[in-house]
Amino acid sequence: MVRTGSALGVLNCSSAPSETHKSAGRSAGYSRETVLLSCVVFLVLLLAVTAFAARMYHKQEHVLADQWFARGEAAFRAGNALKAAKYYRNALVYSESNTAFQFHLAQALTAAHTKETDEEAQSYLLSLLAESPGSGEINLELAHIAARQSNKMSAQDTLRYYYGAIYGVWQTDPLPKRWDARRELCEYLLAHGMTAQVQPETIALAQDVPLSDLGRQKEAAALLARAGLWDRALTEYRAILSSHRRDSDALSGAGLSAFHVGQYAAAVEYLAALPRTTRMRPEVSSAFAESREVEAISPFLNRLSRRERARRTVEALTRARALMQNCFGGNVAPPNLKSGTSKPGGAVAAAQNGATANSALQQLQATLAQKSRVWKELNFIRDPSQIVDAMDWVFQVEKAAAQTCGPSRSLMDRALLLIAKSQTGSEA
Amino acid sequence: MTDPGTTPDASSHAASTAQPEVAAPPAAPEAKPRLWESWSRWIFAIGEDRLFLVLSILIGVFSGLAVVCFHVAIQFVRFLFLGSSLSPNLLRVVVAPTLGGLCVGLLALRVFPRSRGSGVNQTKLAVYVLNGYISFRTVISKFTMCALAIGSGQSLGPEDPALHIGAGIASAIGRGLKLSQKKVRMMAPIGAAAGLAAAFNAPMSAVVFVIEEVIGNWSAGVLGAVVLAAYSSALTMRQFLGPHALFRVPPFELTHPSELIAYVILGVVVGLLSLVFLKWLSYARPKVLALPSWTRTLQPAIAGLMIGIIGIKLPQVMGAGYIIIDQALHGQFTWKLLLILGLLKILATGISFLSGTPGGLFAPALFMGAMLGGAVGAVEQLFFPHVTGSVATFALVGMATFFAGFLRVPITAVFMAIELSGSYTAVGPVLISVMIAYLISRRYQKIPLFDLIGRQDGVVLPSIEELREQVTLVAEDAMRHDAAIIVEPDDPILDVARRMDGKGDAPVLCRAKLGEWRLLDRAQIQQLAATVASSATGKAAQGATAPPGELRNVGGAPPANTAGPAGPVTGVPAAKAPRRAGEVESKGPLPLVFPDESLEEALRWAGDWPVLPVVNRADLGKLEGILTLADILKAFRTAAAE
Repeated sequence: MVRTGSALGVLNCSSAPSETHKSAGRSAGYSRETVLLSCVVFLVLLLAVTAFAARMYHKQEHVLADQWFARGEAAFRAGNALKAAKYYRNALVYSESNTAFQFHLAQALTAAHTKETDEEAQSYLLSLLAESPGSGEINLELAHIAARQSNKMSAQDTLRYYYGAIYGVWQTDPLPKRWDARRELCEYLLAHGMTAQVQPETIALAQDVPLSDLGRQKEAAALLARAGLWDRALTEYRAILSSHRRDSDALSGAGLSAFHVGQYAAAVEYLAALPRTTRMRPEVSSAFAESREVEAISPFLNRLSRRERARRTVEALTRARALMQNCFGGNVAPPNLKSGTSKPGGAVAAAQNGATANSALQQLQATLAQKSRVWKELNFIRDPSQIVDAMDWVFQVEKAAAQTCGPSRSLMDRALLLIAKSQTGSEA
Repeated sequence: MTDPGTTPDASSHAASTAQPEVAAPPAAPEAKPRLWESWSRWIFAIGEDRLFLVLSILIGVFSGLAVVCFHVAIQFVRFLFLGSSLSPNLLRVVVAPTLGGLCVGLLALRVFPRSRGSGVNQTKLAVYVLNGYISFRTVISKFTMCALAIGSGQSLGPEDPALHIGAGIASAIGRGLKLSQKKVRMMAPIGAAAGLAAAFNAPMSAVVFVIEEVIGNWSAGVLGAVVLAAYSSALTMRQFLGPHALFRVPPFELTHPSELIAYVILGVVVGLLSLVFLKWLSYARPKVLALPSWTRTLQPAIAGLMIGIIGIKLPQVMGAGYIIIDQALHGQFTWKLLLILGLLKILATGISFLSGTPGGLFAPALFMGAMLGGAVGAVEQLFFPHVTGSVATFALVGMATFFAGFLRVPITAVFMAIELSGSYTAVGPVLISVMIAYLISRRYQKIPLFDLIGRQDGVVLPSIEELREQVTLVAEDAMRHDAAIIVEPDDPILDVARRMDGKGDAPVLCRAKLGEWRLLDRAQIQQLAATVASSATGKAAQGATAPPGELRNVGGAPPANTAGPAGPVTGVPAAKAPRRAGEVESKGPLPLVFPDESLEEALRWAGDWPVLPVVNRADLGKLEGILTLADILKAFRTAAAE
C-alpha cells in the first residue's frame, strides 16, 4: 500500500490525556529559566545520588566477588574442581573483566577433566590468550587441554601451546615454570612416541636445570634415559652422584645408563651400591645380573691375566658349541617355527630363514672344524690374538641362535651378546 | 525569528498573574536580571534548533544517570530476593518471583495503574498520538515496577523500560522548557535512544533501533539529536558502570566460506522459532486481556510462581539472563541444555509478558537467540565436524537472528552484533542469518510485534515497517512524455501556431534560457498568429512588389495607421504584434521538477502552477516530461488501487 507523508507528520491528534492539561497548567507558572535552573540543580543532585549508589554497588560487588573467589580457592585446594568452578563463576558474575578469576575458573574446569569442562575452559583461555598472547600460564593450560584431545590438529596445537608456555612470559618464578613446561612437553612427546622431537628437548631441559635442584636434575636425567640418550643420562647421573653418593634413584639411573652404553663395570658398581629392595626391581636386577655376568665372562677386560683370558674364551667356546647343539641339533638347522610362521607367507619365510640359517650354520661348523685344534686354552695363552677370532666365532653363533631360536634365557648367552655388541658396536 | 525567551514568558505571565483590576502602582525601576537569568536568556537566544541539540546532550546525561540508578536498583532487588549465587536455593527460587509479582500487581492496582507493557509502544504512542507527552509519573512507575519485577526473577529485560524512562525524561524537559509542539514530539525518541544506549552500552544500535522502529525517519535534524543523546548517555553510563560490553564475546573466526551454509540453516531454524514466539504472544495476549479485570492484580504473582517452578530445575531462565548468555558464549552448556534453556525462556518470557508485568523483551530475545543459536551450531558440528566455528559464534549470530525475526529490526540486529562482538568479521554470517529470519517472520506474520500489541490495545500506530517499505512515488511515475510543445524564444509565432494545430491542448513551453522554462498562453499565440498572418496578407494586397516585411503605400491615401492594419481581435497593431515566441507574454519561470523527485515535493508547486516541467538533472534544458496536478492525483489513485 502506498502512503504519503513522513511518519512524524501523519497524526497530529490533540487527544492528549487530561494529564497534559494538568501538566501544562502546572508548568505554566514557571519560567523557562526557572525550569532550566531546576534541571541543572536536579542534574547535580542526580549525579551525586548516582555516584553514591554506583559506589555502594561496586563495593558490594567487590565484596561478593572476593567472597565467592575465596570459596572457590578453598574448594580447589580441597580437590573439588567442579565445586570450585561453580564458585569461581559466581565470583565472575561480580567481576566480569577480572582476568585472574577467569583464569582460575579455567584452571578449575581443566582440572575437572571432562569434555564439557574442557570446552568451556578452552573458551575462557582463548579469550584470555587473545588479550595476552605471550602469557606462559595461559598457554600451558591450553596445552593441557589440547593434549587430552586426540586428533591431528590438537597435536599441533599442543606443541604450539607448550612452546608458548616455554618461551612465554611468567609473572613469578619464570625459570622453574618454563622448565616445568618443557618437562611436560617431553612427557607428552615421549607418550606419543615422538622420539626425534623429544631428544633435543630433553637435552635443553638438562642444560637448563639448576645444579642445586636435585629433584629436577633427576627428572632431567630420567627423561634423557627415556629418550634413549643414555650417554647424556649417565653424565647427568654422575653429576648428581658426585654430590649425592647414596641417592638410590641416581644410582639405579646411572647403573642402567652405564649398562646401556656398555660400561658394565660401572653398571655393576652403581647397581651394587643400591639397597637390596631397589635392586630387586626387574629392570634393575636384570641389568645388574647381566652386567655382572659380562664382567665375569668377558675375556676382553683389561685387568685380566692371560690365563684367565684364555679360560674365559674356552668357556665361551664351550657355551657356543652347546648352544649350536641345542638350537640347531648339531647338523642341518630345522625351520624356525618361532619367527614369522603365523604371518602369510610365513612358511616360505621360515623356509628361507631355514635355508639361510643352514648355510650360516654350515659355515660356522666348518670354521669350528677348521679351528678346533687351534682353539685350545694353551694356544690362547700363547697367542692371545686367537682369542679375538674365537670370540668372533662365538658371537656369530650367539647371533645366529638368537635369530633362529629366539632370545636365549641363559644369562651367559645374554651376556655374550652384550659383549658382542660392545665389541662390534652393532645390535645383536 | 521571534525571541523564544520572550513570547512564552509573556503568555505564561499573563496566564498566571491575572489579577482583579486595581490602581496601578507607580512604575518601579526595572530590576536588573540576575546572572542566571542572563545566562539562561542567552541560552534560549541561540535559537530553538540549536537549543534542541544542546538539550539532546542534557537528555543523554540525564538518561545515562537514570539508567545507572535503574541498573543498581535491579541488582539491589536481586540481592534482596534471590541472593548473590547463580543457583539460589529452592525457597528463594519459588518465593522471590511470586512475591515480586504480588508487589508489582498491588502497586499497579493502587499506585501506578498504567505501568503495564515493555515501554516501546508507550513511547510510540507518545510520539504519534500524545504529541510527545509522557508524564514523569510514568518514569517513576517504570523505574520502580521494572526494578522490582526483573530483580525478583521475572523473565524480562531492562532495555525497553530504560528506553521508556529516557523518553519520559526527555518529554518532561521539553515540556518544561516550553519548546514548540513539533520539538516536544521529537524529544521522546531522542530520550528513548539515550535510555536504550545506556542500557545496552551500545549507542550505535540504540540510534538505529529508534530510527528503525520508533520514528522511521533519517532526517538530519532528528538524527543529529538522537546520536548526540545516545552517545552522551552511553558515555555517562560508562563513567559509573565501566566501559565493558554487555557480554564478553570470544574472538570470531570464519575459516572457510562453506561455513556460511551453517548460518543459513541457523537463520531458518531460529527464524522459525522466533515466529513461534510471535505467534504465541499474538494468540495468547487477547485471551489474557479478556480475563476479568480483578485477575490483573494477581497475574504477575501467578506468572512469578510459574517461573519459580521452572526455575527449580533451571534457574537460568529467571531474570534478564545476561550472565547465562555470557556463559553460553563461553561454551559452558551442551547442545541439549542450550535447546532446553532457549525453549523454556520462550515459555517463561511469554508468561511474564502476558501477565502484564512491566519489563522488556530485548534481553530475553537475546537470551533465546543465544541459546537456540548455540544449540543449532552444536548440532551442526556433530553432523559436520569440518565446521570450525565454535558454539560461541553460533550463539552470537543466533542472538542477532532471533532479535531480527522477533522484533523485526534487522538493521539494528546487525549493528548490535557488531557492537557486542567488537568485530566486523561476524558481519557476513550475521547478515545472511538475519535476513533469512526476517523474511520468514515477515512472510508468516504480517504485522510486527509492537504494532500488533498496539492494535490489541485499541491503538493503531503507524507501522514503521510498512512506512519503511512503502513505494515512494516519484515524478517519473506520473509525468507525461512528449505532451508539451517546446519552443525556443526565436521561433516564429506562425510556426508555433502551426505546431499547436493537431496537438490538442498540449501546453506550450518556452525554453527561455538554460534552466528557465516559461508557459505560453495557447489562445494568445493563436490570436497573435492570426494577427501576424492577416498583416502579411494585407501587405500583399497593397503591393505585390513590396519587399517582404516592408509596408508600402501603393496609390491612394496613406493608411490611417502607418503601422499597418490592426489585428482582428487583439487590437494590437499588426506591425507591433510579437512575431517571435520569446516576445509573447508568458508565465514563469516555472518551478523545475526532476524525475526522481517525490510527488510530495511536486505537490507543493502543482497547486500554484498549471504545468510543471520535469527536466534532466544533468541538462536542465532537456525536458523529460510534464506534470500537472491531475497527473499527480491520478498516479496516487492508481498506486492505491494496486
